[in-house]
Parts: sequence; C-alpha cells; structure tokens
Amino acid sequence: MRQNCLFMKRYLLCLLAAWFATSCMQPAFAHGGVVEEDDLCVIKVNYLRGHFKIYQPLIDGHKEYCEDLPNATESVFVMEYLHDSLATAAVDFRIIRDVTGKGRFARWEDVAEIEDIDAVTVFYREPTIDPDVLMVIHDFQEEGHFIGVVTANVDGDETIYRAVFPFEVGYTGFGFWPVIIVLLLAIQFQYFVMSGRLKRWRARSVVAAILLILALPVTDATAEEWVSKRNIYEVSYESSIDPIAINRMHHWVLTITSDGQPVTGADIDVSGGMPAHDHGMPTRPRVTAELGEGRYRLEGLRFHMNGRWEMSIEIEANGRRDTVVIVLDL
Amino acid sequence: MNKIIYWVVVLATIVLSVAASRIWPPPGDNWSDAEKVLLQSLWLGSLPDLPPDPTNAVADDPRAAKFGHELFFSTDLSPSKQISCATCHRPELRFTDGMRKGRGVGESKRNTRSIVGSVYSPWQYWDGRRDSQWSQALSPIEDPAEHGGSREHAVNAVASNRQFRKQYEALFGTVPNLDDERNVNEMFANIGKALAAYERLILPGPSRFDDYVAAVLADDADQVAELYDDDERAGLRLFIGKAACTQCHNGPLFTNDEFHNTGVLSSPGEVPDKGRAAGVRLVLEDPFNCKGDYSDAATHACPELEFARSGFEVLGAFRTPSLRNLEKTQPYMHKGQMYTLAEVLEHYNEAPFAMIGHNEAKPLGLNATELTQLEAFLNSLAAPIAVAPKWLVPPPVADQQGTGQ
Repeated sequence: MRQNCLFMKRYLLCLLAAWFATSCMQPAFAHGGVVEEDDLCVIKVNYLRGHFKIYQPLIDGHKEYCEDLPNATESVFVMEYLHDSLATAAVDFRIIRDVTGKGRFARWEDVAEIEDIDAVTVFYREPTIDPDVLMVIHDFQEEGHFIGVVTANVDGDETIYRAVFPFEVGYTGFGFWPVIIVLLLAIQFQYFVMSGRLKRWRARSVVAAILLILALPVTDATAEEWVSKRNIYEVSYESSIDPIAINRMHHWVLTITSDGQPVTGADIDVSGGMPAHDHGMPTRPRVTAELGEGRYRLEGLRFHMNGRWEMSIEIEANGRRDTVVIVLDL
Repeated sequence: MNKIIYWVVVLATIVLSVAASRIWPPPGDNWSDAEKVLLQSLWLGSLPDLPPDPTNAVADDPRAAKFGHELFFSTDLSPSKQISCATCHRPELRFTDGMRKGRGVGESKRNTRSIVGSVYSPWQYWDGRRDSQWSQALSPIEDPAEHGGSREHAVNAVASNRQFRKQYEALFGTVPNLDDERNVNEMFANIGKALAAYERLILPGPSRFDDYVAAVLADDADQVAELYDDDERAGLRLFIGKAACTQCHNGPLFTNDEFHNTGVLSSPGEVPDKGRAAGVRLVLEDPFNCKGDYSDAATHACPELEFARSGFEVLGAFRTPSLRNLEKTQPYMHKGQMYTLAEVLEHYNEAPFAMIGHNEAKPLGLNATELTQLEAFLNSLAAPIAVAPKWLVPPPVADQQGTGQ
C-alpha cells in the first residue's frame, strides 16, 4: 500500500512536469514560423530555412529582435538564407493585423479563412527574387497584434511554401519566453551530453592540438617546400613579386611534386584567408595554366592586410586528393 | 624604529621607479624598427608614381586634362543646365559635398566620395561598381538623381559647343555620326576619359603626419618632439597597434581599396545597403568596364575584374575610404550616417553585429582617453590638395559661358 502510494506520487509528479513542459513549449513551436536555435532566430518556410531578424534602427540601433517588437516605429525585417533555394525563389512578404483571434497560436489555416486579406494587410511586398538576402522595411503606425506571412515559390514550381509568424508590436512583457529559453537551454545541454557531442568536441580538440603540433614544423617560415596534410604532395611557390607586398595583384608559379616526382594534370582549387579575422581573400585566385614539369600558374592573388594569411591548395591528381596549407606572414 | 622603516620604503620606491623608467622608458617617440617600417608604409613619400591607365589612351595627355577640367565644371552635360561634376565634388571640401547623400537633380543613394587620390584605386564608388576613373565619370551623367541626363544628351552637348568640339576632335578625331548607338557610346566613353585625365591630377599633399614620419626616419629628435604632442603620438601608436586600424587603412593613402563589412547601421527609411555584393555584379556587367568594347586595354589585361570576389562574404561590404581628408569630408560612411570622428571611433570600438552579412571588425576595448588620442592623431592627417590652384577653380572658358556655378 505504502509502495503503491509512492508510485502514484511519482507518477503524478511526472505527469505534472510533462504537462508543464508541453504547455510552455507550445507558444514556441505552435506556429512553426520563427524559432530560436543556437542563439539565432530561424524562420522555417517549410523545409527552407532562413536566419530571421528584425531591427528598429531609429530607436534601438543594432539591437536584434526575433518576433515581438517593443515600439511602433520603422522596422527592418531581414532574412538571410540558410538554404540556397531561397536565393532563386520568388518570395513575398505580408504583414496583416491579427484578426484571427488566435493570437500566438495563429496558423496558416486561420489566416486563409480571412475573407478580405487586403483589408487587414498593413504591408505587402510583391514576390521578388533576391539572390543575396531578403529585406523589407515597414513603419508601424500603431501598436498591436500582427501576423507575418512569408511565401516562397521555388523555381516557378507549383508548390508554395509558407511561414506564418504572429508577433506583437509594443511588446513589453516577458511572457513565457524566459521559461522557454531555460527549458530549451536545458534540452540543448542534455542533447549535447547525450548525443556524445561533448565527447566528440573534446576528442576533436585533442586531434586539433595534435595536428597543430604536427603542423608546426611544416609551418616553419623558412621552409620552402610545403607538405600536404596526408603527405601525398610537396608544394613550393615562386611569387611574381618578391617580397610579397600587400594590395598588389600578382601571380605565383606553384611546383607540385609527389615523392619528388613532378605531378602533372592536377586539378587545383585555391582558397585563402586570414584565420584571425574570419575573412577570405579580396580576390578569387585560380590556376590558369599548367606550365609542365609539375608547374602551374596561379593568378589573381592580392592580399589586402598585413598579418598571417593561410592559402589552402587542394590538389587532385591520379585520383588522389590532398590539401596543402601555405602560411604567409605579411 | 617605525620611522626608519618608513624612510627605507620611501627611498626604495624612489630608487626602483627611477631604475624602472631607465629600463622601460615610456614608449613616446621610440619607435621600434618594425614600427618604423609600418610608419614608412603609411608615409606619403611612399606613394608610388601615378599608375598608368591602360584602359584610357588619353589619360596622360595634357590636352585631355584641360578638356576634362572644363567638362568637370560645366553644367552643359546636364539637361537642366544646373548640375556639374563640381556640384557634388566641391574642390574646397576636398571634392566632397558635406552632405549625408549627394544631391544633384534629386538625392542620390549614397554619400559622395572624394576624388583625391582615387586614381590609385582599382575600384570606384563605395561598392566598386565601376573599375576606372573614366567609367565612373560617366555614371552620374545618367543618374536620374545626379545630372539627370543621358549619354545622347551629353555627346550632343559636346558636339554642339564650339570650344568642346574643337578639343574633342583634337584628341579623338572627328565627331562621328551620332545616330549610331555604338558611336554615341564611343563618344560618351571618350568624354569620361577626358574627365579622368583631369581627375588623375587630384592628389593629396603632405600632412603633419608625413613631416613627423620624415623626422622619425631621419632620427631628427628636435623635429620629432615638436611635430606631435603626446596625444597624437599615443593616437598613432594605437592606430598601428591596439586599434588595428591598419588592417584596412593601410598604405600611403590609408586605404587598401578593398571591401569590408563593418556593421554600420542602415540609413533611416531604407533597408540595409548590400554594398559590394550588388556592386560586383554591376561592374561585371558594365559595358564600360576594363574588358568592354570601349576600353583601350588589350584584352585579358583586367585581372581585377577577372578575379573579383562575390557572394555572401561581400554582402554589406563597402570600399575602405582614405583617411587623408577627414577634416573636410564629413559626414562619414556610405550613407553619411555619422557626422563626427568620435561617432566613427565609438562604432569601431563597439563593433556591433552587422544587420546583413558579417561584421569583420572586432570590439577594441579602448577607453575614452584612447579614443581621444586616436581622434587627435587622425586630425593630424589634414592637408591641402597637392595640385596647382588653377585646377581647383572653374576654368576661365567655363566662366565665359556662365556655367561656372
């Protein structure tokens, strides 16, 4: 009897926790429009995903909002594509006053029921293909509840993908959000631990450290020959300007060998950048000619900053692919 | 007893601080060899000779410069006869206009950039949508907010003006039949080439900074001490060091002429500007680019165009401006978003996330004193333009035609 009671108590507690969790989660996921993932607001237009953010630059400068906006003022909506198809899709953008009575739970079905959607539309942008980023600006004249509807038509396909996101303008309260964020963080953390990512992450840093130590002799500035990661190729280069100066367009001649033998007919892909500054090269250099005896002309090089640059040269010849990283200190 | 200990401590402190200051003197004017190399790279004395422009056959023809000078100040190229190049590129403001955005017939989309030293850049405009001074010069003529005209109007304006026609024909041969589109384009391009021959001459002069570097390089201690005060010296040290300004503002013109997203806020009433991401598409399509039919360059001699970078990496990126004309070129940034240097420095100190794309700059963590020192240094870059005064005023012939205003 006593054991039974304990069991019931536990059962009830679990039930309560489950109910609490699901009831709180609902606002975050119900409309399927904008959700928080890894500190980003992500909009899901069906399977197409975008990084979604809203600004009120006149009042809040660079502050980013996900959905609810504190002020009725000029607001800039930005959607950066996380899926390439969005860059070629005709995307329209509509903001309507929320007349569905569903508030945060409004879905497309509710919006579709509105008889005269134009009458409640406060902003509409015609379907437009934008290869870079979706941006619209709207000056809200009044506070209240609104619904954003983004539709995407991919490649003139019949299918139309939609995202519906209810939001509030003049929003001051915190509502459910703090609870949801804590819950999401907890779930995220648990996932992180459970999925073995933590271990993998640890393992990766160990591997990276070992690689770094192994790479140290290779990155010796005095070394003329650079060895590829899997020791397949040796690469050296000769620059058309010596020493290499910043802001000057120039070219290199690469000499590629494998076990000391020249490598001919290689496919070479070159990229470069400054790891310390998270940016690549100002140009897109490429190999323009094979000069024989394992020599290749690499054109279109320009470095625009002093500091450490890394040039990653991917070589594929006779079915063997490997990458060599050349480090330059300018 | 306590008194003795007290005095021992005081004496020891004094002795130690004197010794420390001997061993580690305050940086002051003691520049390391590496720093001297960096200072020399920023020095105007390091500016290379005027680069040749293979796309413009008349670039270095003095007759073209004279003709270009007249065209620059002439309002004939605008149908309203109100607008000249000098409307926005005012010589007394280092060839800018003091406004947030340029204003011709209407309001243009961006802040007016200076012409001073622009001959050294592979790209023109904030987004590099033109790749030579001459092709840039054509763009305002057809911009509905600037000259508000057309190429047809421009070529006819030159053909029907006796002075202009004479100069044009001496340089480029007889004015062709203007019913033909290709001929119109050709003549239009030539007008740009004459304008560029003039603009090439607009170069910056030496500033107090350049005198200071010359003194440092010559080890002239007296001059070094006299030319810079403590704030300017500290500002320069920050500029080439902790503040990381030379990442982009490098070389004798204090610019790498490259495109960077630095997270500047959008302009009121507008969505964020895509900058280079859109500019690179425009320059590749431009019929007046280096590879186009109207360029005088031999084919395949356009590495900048051929290897230009595009895509997300240059979204919201704008071309680094020179810092040599700051005293007269405010407001700053691509839409003139900022009026003072203090605002600009505060922005870079903070380095907020960009509205679109990715802000390359990192927060600097500078304190208020350091920001003031940087500003003091930047102000020491002020200098007049190094060009004969006659080029900075409307030419006499333009005055006679009443087009100088």
